[in-house]
Amino acid sequence: MSPMGKIVAFHSYKGGTGKTLLSVNLAATYSNRGKKVCLFDLDFRAPSLQAALKIKDNEHWLNDYLNGVCDVKKVLIDISRGHVRQGELWIGLANPSTEAIRDMSGKDRKWEMKALGRLLSLKDSFLNEMEFDYLIWDTSPGLQYSSINAIVSADVALVVATIDTSDIEGTRRMTHELYDLFEKKTGILMNKVPAEIISTKTGKGKMRKQFEATHGLPILEIVPCFCDILRAGGTYIFTQEKPEHPFTKIVDTIATKIERF
Amino acid sequence: MSEYRILGRNPAQILQKIKESLDQLNEKMEVMIEIQKHNQKEGESIPDVLDVMTLLSLPDHLRKTAVTISRLDQATAEEVAEQTKRARAVESGYLNQLVMMGYLKKERRGRKAYFYIEK
Repeated sequence: MSPMGKIVAFHSYKGGTGKTLLSVNLAATYSNRGKKVCLFDLDFRAPSLQAALKIKDNEHWLNDYLNGVCDVKKVLIDISRGHVRQGELWIGLANPSTEAIRDMSGKDRKWEMKALGRLLSLKDSFLNEMEFDYLIWDTSPGLQYSSINAIVSADVALVVATIDTSDIEGTRRMTHELYDLFEKKTGILMNKVPAEIISTKTGKGKMRKQFEATHGLPILEIVPCFCDILRAGGTYIFTQEKPEHPFTKIVDTIATKIERF
Repeated sequence: MSEYRILGRNPAQILQKIKESLDQLNEKMEVMIEIQKHNQKEGESIPDVLDVMTLLSLPDHLRKTAVTISRLDQATAEEVAEQTKRARAVESGYLNQLVMMGYLKKERRGRKAYFYIEK
């Protein structure tokens, strides 16, 4: 019997650290390894997956599943064709309409409690019944109900941080005051690091040690700032479009490290 | 016996005594109603909801049990123990603590006790 899959949640203290780009490309990387993967947009305050993957005419949203209106299977969209070479890539979208965003931000504690139960139940339905290998969640930044619910329900939490001082301090506090309490397997991904700081092996090693000492957590990878990725605007699956790009190789390394996590 | 003597002597005094007793009873009832109203208000402001914020405030040993019940929806102490890899008797104790704290409900079905979150 094959080992059960993993739920991986991408989170960050601040917004704009690159969670969506990394989660989309990690999902594509696993699919290209022949895995069955599902990517969820759990950022209900600023949904972005629909626009990033140019999905049109969606009927059922993750909002509906969490509201108890529909089964989670109705939310799933198979985007394997045209996006990955092999394996399966499915997605579940957050509703980007203003009305839906307003609705989600006004939920009470009892609703959040039910939402937590629904997210926790996905482990059995996705990884056991539907036999997914990976369920990857792109969450809202900071400490809010939807992202904490996602972290509590995940097996592995990946915190995407930048070298911004406020981000480093906020990330450190957040991981110690939240992640530690739920005994989560946590890794830090340093993203958008200026290339000149990590251009040499010594420089990269020094930086890794420094960040590991600050966070008290493993630094899974240090991702340099790629101007061509920024120019692409996060609108496509980079690892699929450019398999020889250094970013593709870095995401591949991250995927292998998570497999062994 | 003393009431009978009073009754025999002066019916007006008896009526007065009944009135006084009714007034006292009325006062006590009003106090009880006020206490009940106050308790209801307090209960509304601090609901026993097992959301992530409550989970964060729980001690480590209870948090693990509470997260497991959230995931399983409803379970016996044995089923929770299978997930947490702790002894059934230990989980039974933790689950009953969560019941006493008002976060879980307990229901007996035959010989088994099921714990669940009231939704």
